Amino acid sequence: MTRRQLLTKAGKWAVGLGLFFPLYSFIMKKRYRPPIQIQIKEALKPGQFLMEKEFALFQTTKGPLAVSRRCTHLGCIVNYHETGKIFLCPCHQSKFHWDGRYISGPAKKDLYRLKVRPLEGGKGFLVEIPRGKA
Amino acid sequence: MKLNTGELVTGALVISALSGFVLAYQYEPATPFISTVAMEATIPFGPFWRSLHFWASQLFLLLLFFHIYKTISWPLDHQRTTHKRHWTVIALTVPMAIFALFTGYVLRYDATGQDACMIAEHLLLKVPLMGHALNRFLIAASDEGINRVYAVHILLTFLLWGFGTWYHLKRVTLKWPAFMSLLIALCAFCALIEAPIDLPGQNVALIKGPWFFLGVQELLRYLPPFIAGVLYPMIPIAAITALPWLPKPRVGLWITGLWGLSYGYLTLVASLR
Ligand code: FES
Repeated sequence: MTRRQLLTKAGKWAVGLGLFFPLYSFIMKKRYRPPIQIQIKEALKPGQFLMEKEFALFQTTKGPLAVSRRCTHLGCIVNYHETGKIFLCPCHQSKFHWDGRYISGPAKKDLYRLKVRPLEGGKGFLVEIPRGKA
Repeated sequence: MKLNTGELVTGALVISALSGFVLAYQYEPATPFISTVAMEATIPFGPFWRSLHFWASQLFLLLLFFHIYKTISWPLDHQRTTHKRHWTVIALTVPMAIFALFTGYVLRYDATGQDACMIAEHLLLKVPLMGHALNRFLIAASDEGINRVYAVHILLTFLLWGFGTWYHLKRVTLKWPAFMSLLIALCAFCALIEAPIDLPGQNVALIKGPWFFLGVQELLRYLPPFIAGVLYPMIPIAAITALPWLPKPRVGLWITGLWGLSYGYLTLVASLR
């Protein structure tokens, strides 16, 4: 390789790398976004539950329990089957108890529990879904 | 008239890209599912344009596979370095094409699309070292919604077009007869047959992903995600791109063929569920 060719090659690499870094930083930056808060304006008696898109909210004698519907295998939305009180994942058939405990299938981990607190005045709940974990 | 497979692939890509840009005029990445349903329900000719984009893209991928099948022995008797390099670069458009179709499924954002998106994101994150960066570049849906999926879907049009024509077209052309017959046949088909979409609120016990993903979906039931979802699908891509460089290129053909058989079997099992 002549000196000239070498310089051209080095120049191309320099331009490439010089552009790659700004692109990389631009794309990798995560803007801060607050967790998603979802208000449920419904009172539930112990034993009753509510099925939302991202989670299931159960009222128990010990208070409300919000179970995330994101499968802990690869993130599909699990479906609740009331007859057996289980969650079944439609993607690779993982199974969980109603309260999120793992039963069988490739997931291996329990479903996540989400933060939930009763709304002021007692009629309803506030559920918090963290970003990136939903 | 002798129809050239490369010409048909190009034709299907052109129709898919153009109909895709038509859809983009009414598509809204902040409310992906709602805007897709709106196309189906209220926008004049919405079902037709969506169907044309869907089926032209399916056809593009199938024709691409067929094209590879017809030309797979090319590297065996083209052993010059420039030829080898050309083959490797152009073979890389295959994973791009698959990803373009895959992001298309995600963008309609029905139950299949959402779940497929989550699975892909989790699988990417399992890639050692680069997983996080790859996810930020290609999907990142749990943080960013489907903005990036949409950006990549459109970017892929340019990449496929650029590599497939400007780089590759020195050998293959697209002439009017091929293009017109393809266009007319597809339009007729799509005027009658709609593109699929899942309706909301069905408690289905089994969701089947896109057809080219079924084999992986089946394997994910049994094997750890990194093996089933990353390593295994990489085998044929690695084998085909490396084909001309292998000391015995035929070995690469055998690997690809055997892999294809295993994948066909898995797909069959999954589709019979
Ligand atoms: S994502 Fe639920 S079982 Fe795989």
